Amino acid sequence: MALTIISLIKQVPLPSEMRMGDDGLMDRTKAKSIINVDCQFGLEAGLQLKKKYPDARMIVCSMGPQSFETALRTALSMGYDEAYLLSDRKLGGSDTFATGLALATLLKHLGFDKDSKEPFIVFAGRQTSDGDTAHVPSQVAENLGIPQATFVERIEADDNGNVMARRIIEGGYQELQLPIPCLISLTPTGVAPRKPSLSGAIKARNTAVTVLGVDDIHLSTEKIGISGSPTIVANVQNIVSDRPPVMMAEGQGEKELVDSFMAQFDTGGNVLEKKDEKEKKTAETPDFPILDKRGPAKGILTWAEVTNGKIARPSLELLNPSLKLAKELGNDTKITTVLIGKNVKPLAKTLFEHGSDEVILVENDRLEEYLVMPFSDILAQVIRKRNPEIALFAATTAGRELAPRIAVKTGSGVTADCTGLEIGEYVNRKTKEIIRPILHSRRPTYGDSKLATILGFVYPQMSTARPGTFPVPEEQPGRTGEISVFEPELNEKDFAVKIHKTVRGEGGLQSLLDADVIISGGRGATGDGLKLVKELAAALKEKGIRAEWASSRVVVDEGLAEYARQIGQTGRTVRPKVYVAIGIFGAIQHIYGMKESGKIVAVDHNPKASIFHHADFGIVGEYEDIVPELIERVKNGFTFGVEPVGKD
Amino acid sequence: MDNATVYTDVLIVGGGPSGLSFAIRLADSLKEKGLKRRILLIDKGNSIGSHIISGAVIRPDVFGELLPDVPIDQIPFDSKVSSDTMYMLSEKGSLKVPFHPPYMGNKGNYTASLGEVCRFLAKKAEEKGVEIYPGFAMSDILYDERGKVIGAKTIDTGVDHHGNKLENFQEGTRVEAKLTVFAEGTRGSLAKKLIEKFDLQKGKNPQIYSLGCKEVWSVPEGNIVPGEVYHTMGFPAANFGVFGGGFIYGLKDNKVALGLVVGLDYADPTFDTHDAFQIWKTHPFVAKFLKGGRMLEYGAKTLPEGGYYSLPKLYVANALLIGDSAGFLAMPALKGIHLGIRSGMLAAQAALTAFQRNDFSENTLKTYEQSVKQSSIHTELHRTRNFRQGFMKGMIPGVFHFGTQLVTGGAGFFGRLKTHPDSEATKTLAQAKKPLFKEKYKDLEFDKVLTFDKATNVYYTGVAHDDHQVPHLQINDPATYNAVNIQEYGAPCQYYCSAEVYEVHTDKEGNQELRIHFENCLHCKTCDIKEPAGGITWNVPNGGNGPDYKYM
Repeated sequence: MALTIISLIKQVPLPSEMRMGDDGLMDRTKAKSIINVDCQFGLEAGLQLKKKYPDARMIVCSMGPQSFETALRTALSMGYDEAYLLSDRKLGGSDTFATGLALATLLKHLGFDKDSKEPFIVFAGRQTSDGDTAHVPSQVAENLGIPQATFVERIEADDNGNVMARRIIEGGYQELQLPIPCLISLTPTGVAPRKPSLSGAIKARNTAVTVLGVDDIHLSTEKIGISGSPTIVANVQNIVSDRPPVMMAEGQGEKELVDSFMAQFDTGGNVLEKKDEKEKKTAETPDFPILDKRGPAKGILTWAEVTNGKIARPSLELLNPSLKLAKELGNDTKITTVLIGKNVKPLAKTLFEHGSDEVILVENDRLEEYLVMPFSDILAQVIRKRNPEIALFAATTAGRELAPRIAVKTGSGVTADCTGLEIGEYVNRKTKEIIRPILHSRRPTYGDSKLATILGFVYPQMSTARPGTFPVPEEQPGRTGEISVFEPELNEKDFAVKIHKTVRGEGGLQSLLDADVIISGGRGATGDGLKLVKELAAALKEKGIRAEWASSRVVVDEGLAEYARQIGQTGRTVRPKVYVAIGIFGAIQHIYGMKESGKIVAVDHNPKASIFHHADFGIVGEYEDIVPELIERVKNGFTFGVEPVGKD
Repeated sequence: MDNATVYTDVLIVGGGPSGLSFAIRLADSLKEKGLKRRILLIDKGNSIGSHIISGAVIRPDVFGELLPDVPIDQIPFDSKVSSDTMYMLSEKGSLKVPFHPPYMGNKGNYTASLGEVCRFLAKKAEEKGVEIYPGFAMSDILYDERGKVIGAKTIDTGVDHHGNKLENFQEGTRVEAKLTVFAEGTRGSLAKKLIEKFDLQKGKNPQIYSLGCKEVWSVPEGNIVPGEVYHTMGFPAANFGVFGGGFIYGLKDNKVALGLVVGLDYADPTFDTHDAFQIWKTHPFVAKFLKGGRMLEYGAKTLPEGGYYSLPKLYVANALLIGDSAGFLAMPALKGIHLGIRSGMLAAQAALTAFQRNDFSENTLKTYEQSVKQSSIHTELHRTRNFRQGFMKGMIPGVFHFGTQLVTGGAGFFGRLKTHPDSEATKTLAQAKKPLFKEKYKDLEFDKVLTFDKATNVYYTGVAHDDHQVPHLQINDPATYNAVNIQEYGAPCQYYCSAEVYEVHTDKEGNQELRIHFENCLHCKTCDIKEPAGGITWNVPNGGNGPDYKYM
């Protein structure tokens, strides 16, 4: 039977034109719209797979207002054959949980779930630019009961009816083999989306977009919309950027440009001062009865991710907000950490020494490597047994797919990628009651321009915490706790996805975290194999500056730099006094890892490179011209305003 | 999916005023005759209007003929012309010209954003059943085995800078049509190929062009009244013996459209229209309109100025040339919109006849050229047939010529005056008259309030080009380019280009090379026109690339 390739897409406002309504929900009426970039890569992955399956039926689906038809028509003109839009006022205000459920119900209505006879594969974008959660793909997969792979960069069909997926993980990548049916979410780094063809556009004009409402697909309204969503957006604030607009060097030729840059650098006071993100105090708390809705749910549960035989740093960082929340909750609230793997018992010590009160140990030879299906199943079993009030995960590539998949099993809402977690209350003015205590999860959204506070009303309240945000709690040598062994029920179907290969670089290179100046090279600086980037760092070291060189992920992928030097979401987060980005386009994943730097200097030939939106100083030019000039200036005493610390 | 072919009755390449008018008129007249034919219109802009830029002051009468059911007040012009004056500018002063030069009056005309007008025409055309697809670039004309035009093909996408196929490669769509209409605007890249292949310019003057740079500003209430129209002559173009003038048009909502248009037959290899435009804005007469305001948009385009004697043959079997692609523009008013529309309507008449006879041979299509000759297009172009050429030797001979032409009904005392391609007018650094433009203005600075450098201006065009494609600007002879175009001429492209596409880079050893930043390109075609020895060819980039004009 012919394969069906399904792409899930979302239409989003152009990032530069995003607005939000006063209610904290997206106002999509004003901005110019595009297909979310990650979703475009999902569309292309589907079209690439069609090369292997020329007879494949190509379906594209979306959920949203009628205006989303535009995006579906673009997908049709790229090469899809059928388009379905789930559009209903009752869906307004749905969170990721409700959205995942609605989309899965749409697919089931179209005849696709784990039991369907026709083979199918679902593609999606990793995350959307206006939501940033990365939850929906996992939740659709869980609702359909099919395997998944998220953060996938490339796919290929093998000859045995499987799909090979290259999944990006911290420090490298994994090669996964997935059976069909399955769901795959794409990062915007693989095969670039094709342009619509004229013949496709003509076909799209003559193809009807099928619009369906919730009644058409027999979706119960109890679980969708604002009322059906387990989370709500309680508060949204603007994050005022502390970074003044970029100062671009002016002049003809590298000499003038560098002169101009140095003059700006010396006078420009672009020192980033992190201001407290204070919540505006709303009207005073009314005199409503205070309710504690936790029932028997108690305690904080975390998951300890194991990489390279150690507890991953983000999982230790996670114990920091856990300790704070436990203190705020009082009443002897315990932190329980789930440790899954093969021969991982010795790692429990590290967890106790960083704040865990109890470690639940799940050991099995088949669990040596993380896989979302068995791990989500096990964690859901633990959660059902222990009934914690809060469950926290590090927002790593694993945590961000694991948490939403678990949440579907437990009916919880998940708040993604939080930078702030605290205990507070919720004043419900409709029902005239105050819910307390409740977890306030704060997360930046809309390209880090807003800070939203999300509340969940189903226990456990689940959140993932952004790595690099919370410091690892101070180690307390000798602190111990209780180890409980948990024997999970393993489901054979959860092992349908096979790991063919895991490539994960080593950490280390402390000098990068201590450097005052980091010279970082991207794809645009590889013409000489990063020679000039290294030379600039070396020239600074020569002057007694704590300088180090680093790179973007693509450069690591190309083998020109070791993983330990990779800056970004799947690399390291650095905060040097000066960060010099050379030939780096400025993908959001890279920005994530360096945006807290003191001063950011960008050198790139493309004046439209997005790095310039995140930089304090910009030089537009070929790096082969600009960098030698900078090296010469360094040799003559220019040290980017940093004082030498003496030669090593 | 690959190499798909689409069949249609009519393919129109270009969604400007002439292409849209052709579509509207043909759809109407086919309907009137009870015929059903498929009309496809393709435009390379990401939407209709996004590549449209013009002054503009529009003569409205032709709209009444094109859309008899639409009252004039429903056409989205901006404002009715309320006053119309011409000023002669000197370095610091201004002198109101007490009368209007002939053929330049604007009474009863409207200021407008031509982009808005085109969006309106596109809506009308779609209502009449025309299929309009913006965002696709036609890169090649298709010919049958006997060399006859049978349609055109969109550009292949998903290639790297060298043309190697990437994984998302897609072969362009072939569109085969009984009749193909080239309405690409000024210096159309397919029209150029068509004219060359069929030698359509034979026996005619070479086409000559001007380049206009334009900005739209938002200004404080009271700076200008909607419908006020000012034209300027003299400063700064005249200081360099350059033919050109400025315009300032009052728009509603306290907006101003202003620009400088310069004939590309100048000799100074360092002349820079963008910079001249910025200098012109600093003249007190111009600056006063902008005081306290801010720039909203910038753009640039060329205009075919050769007039009557530069019109190519307008047809070959299965194909027609209309609008600016053919060179329908009336001097000295620099008005081409109404002529473009009329040429579209006349071409549609010929197309109807062709469909009725099912005969698309030259024999049928020549009725288009015949009807042009009997129309008001001919009247307008013929009476100024020697106007522009008269100014090729400078302003003073120009005024003399124009005087003689007025009393002789356009002929002048010398019969037909010839033109030379603009690329031949440029002199080498050694031969050009000193001081050169760049010498005189070597200390030119832009305050980013009233005046802007090119990079800043380019930001206000919304321009974007896909990274993955073959750069659409091609150096025809790389072997001689450095020695001739850079060394002898001083790389005029870095000056005439109003979008900083071309940069001459000098390394530490003093070696020079040309770098092409095609991502800035505004599709004005000046490089294709003006580069010495025709050294640069402008090809279409990917569809949907280029500027994104909003109200130009």
